[in-house]
Amino acid sequence: MRFRTLFLATLALALAAPAAAAPARKVLVLGVDGLDPALLRSYIARGILPNIGRLIERGGFSELQTSMPPLSPVAWSNFITGMDPGGHGVFDFIHRDAATMLPDRAESVVKPGKTLSLGDCHVLPVGGGGPENLRRGRAFWQILEERGVPTIVFRMPANFPPVPSPGKSLSGMGTPDIQGTPGTFSFYTDRQVPNAKEISGGEVYAVRPSAGRVDAKLHGPWNPFRDGSTACRKRLEVDFTVHLDPQRPLAKFDVQGQEFVLQQGEWSDWVRVDFKALPLFASVHAIGRFYLKQVRPQFELYLTPLQIDPKRPGAMQISTPKSWSHELCEELGYFYTKELPEDTKALTGGILNAREFWQQTQFVYDELRRAFDYAIESFEEGLLFFYFSSVDQNSHMLWNYMDREHPGFNEDPLLAAGIEQMYRGIDDVVGRALATLPEDATIILMSDHGFAPFYWQVSLNSWLVERGYAALRDPGQRSSKWFGDVDWSRTRAYAVGLNGLYVNLRGREPRGIVEPGEEHERLLRQLERDLLGMVDPRNGKHPVSLVVDPRRDFHGPLVASGPDLVVGYSWGYRTSWKSPLGEFPREVFTDNTEPWSGDHSMDYRLVPGVLIASRPITLDAPALHDLTVAILDEYGVPKTKEMIGSDCLGER
Amino acid sequence: MFGSRIKLDRDLLRKIEMYAKIAGYSSTQEFITHALEKEIAQLEQADSDEEIRKKLQGLGYIS
Repeated sequence: MRFRTLFLATLALALAAPAAAAPARKVLVLGVDGLDPALLRSYIARGILPNIGRLIERGGFSELQTSMPPLSPVAWSNFITGMDPGGHGVFDFIHRDAATMLPDRAESVVKPGKTLSLGDCHVLPVGGGGPENLRRGRAFWQILEERGVPTIVFRMPANFPPVPSPGKSLSGMGTPDIQGTPGTFSFYTDRQVPNAKEISGGEVYAVRPSAGRVDAKLHGPWNPFRDGSTACRKRLEVDFTVHLDPQRPLAKFDVQGQEFVLQQGEWSDWVRVDFKALPLFASVHAIGRFYLKQVRPQFELYLTPLQIDPKRPGAMQISTPKSWSHELCEELGYFYTKELPEDTKALTGGILNAREFWQQTQFVYDELRRAFDYAIESFEEGLLFFYFSSVDQNSHMLWNYMDREHPGFNEDPLLAAGIEQMYRGIDDVVGRALATLPEDATIILMSDHGFAPFYWQVSLNSWLVERGYAALRDPGQRSSKWFGDVDWSRTRAYAVGLNGLYVNLRGREPRGIVEPGEEHERLLRQLERDLLGMVDPRNGKHPVSLVVDPRRDFHGPLVASGPDLVVGYSWGYRTSWKSPLGEFPREVFTDNTEPWSGDHSMDYRLVPGVLIASRPITLDAPALHDLTVAILDEYGVPKTKEMIGSDCLGER
Repeated sequence: MFGSRIKLDRDLLRKIEMYAKIAGYSSTQEFITHALEKEIAQLEQADSDEEIRKKLQGLGYIS
């Protein structure tokens, strides 16, 4: 009797309880940086991307209008927020602070904290400071989470530190290395490296092998317990030793008790490094991988930029929840955490050769692939976004191996097929998704922008001088300092970043000379006309095909917070290597023979991205901000009033 | 005035006194303070320039 009563009571409770919420439908978004529609079509036509072909048959394939400028932080911010730069405030990789006239990253910054001076160069950190995400507007996954849709967002660019979310997210582009830079590699050698001081994105350290060993240091962040002034500051350092085999080309490493042997030409696994700021009290944890390039006759050792340790990120939150990067590490092993892991700078600086770079990019792809396989296998419901950097970074660095027209063309059959190989890698990922997800899941393959060759560079700042818009104190002397040579009393316009052009406006710039209002407007129109009329005297081409005025062409409350004009270069052109950081080289137009040979920082109409979906595409010319609305619509969530796009996917 | 005594070469001190007068400084101390402040500001600026470049140079797009 007693059991019968209990049974009936349980049954009644079960019937009265609300039905458990149905699992949210699965939507997978594969975000492939730099996937180009023209290259994709050519590979599909050759039949080498069968899985992407199958996905297109299920739904459709369209070009996806990118942002202006078509730079990753801007484009991904358009996608994340459904707005344009006027709404989210990210206009370039680099912007300038109008008050101080100093440049910084546009999408995130790390601000110094407050300290209490203890005298004799010692300080006590007392809080404040830390990383700040400068992108404005709510991310689409934050909106979905509010509606109860579970989300996993893997390495979304322009999301460092990751915006608060109950879902899982791991930061991507914008995440610094342990030194607070986009990536600073180390190269230890006893050979004379030409222009070692000039190599950007890395440091060359002279070492001297002695008695069969090399003693050197790993260089971490600035010691937080020391004053930040030049005289006082010191990097945290860790000693390490390399024992050279007397006969064979191999060496034994000892890094804080971790011992391993590398053959010449071999990469280490991830090595943990603990930088101790105060013994037994405060440590900064990092990871890095060594590459023993050569043992003799000259010793050459490369070390990746030291990355934030995903197991112990400390004050640098790289995931939500904060513990998720640790959990991922438990599942997958250590992985690259800095923004774009492919070390393009080591190739440009001549530290790694192109084949070594290619090998390193394979490690990155393999790591991402391992993480993707884990993510897709454990994907239960809701939205999964997964980002791949491999196509973009290899398209930048290997374009000159597949394009015989390129001024920096190189012959190498392996590398000539490198970009194609990366597209095959993405095809494989799509195959895995098609095989794993149920029929009714939505699969979207998309990119932020496409690609173009980078044949010729335009030194925009030098052009401004040539046309009388800017003036140098002494035109005969051109240093490499950030606007160090400019006579601001005679400068009306200056260029910063990849595509930004600013007016030296009175009341905004510290030494502004152009009056706001009519004079400002008149100058903008004159600049626009002159930019579009620019001619490269070497070939008669027009290097600029589009000029965007944010106040006229963008939407949202931040239209006036970015550059006054955004310059769109025509096919084959880009800003010069020196102009983005305030330099004024003598030549305005020059060939680009650097290894960085493909690019996309140009007229956005020339480098659209890709949209492939398992659902019909319903807009003729969908844009990144339309896709944001479409993803919300997958769950019946309406777009917010700030979003400027429309749904671009049809019914299931 | 708080501070430490600094030894200067006699010839240099003579020059400092002369140029402080020519440049219209009210005292040699004012001239020396100004010169040192200018030098330090320049060093600090150079340092912050270098720091900025380093912070941004890891970006593949610039050199």
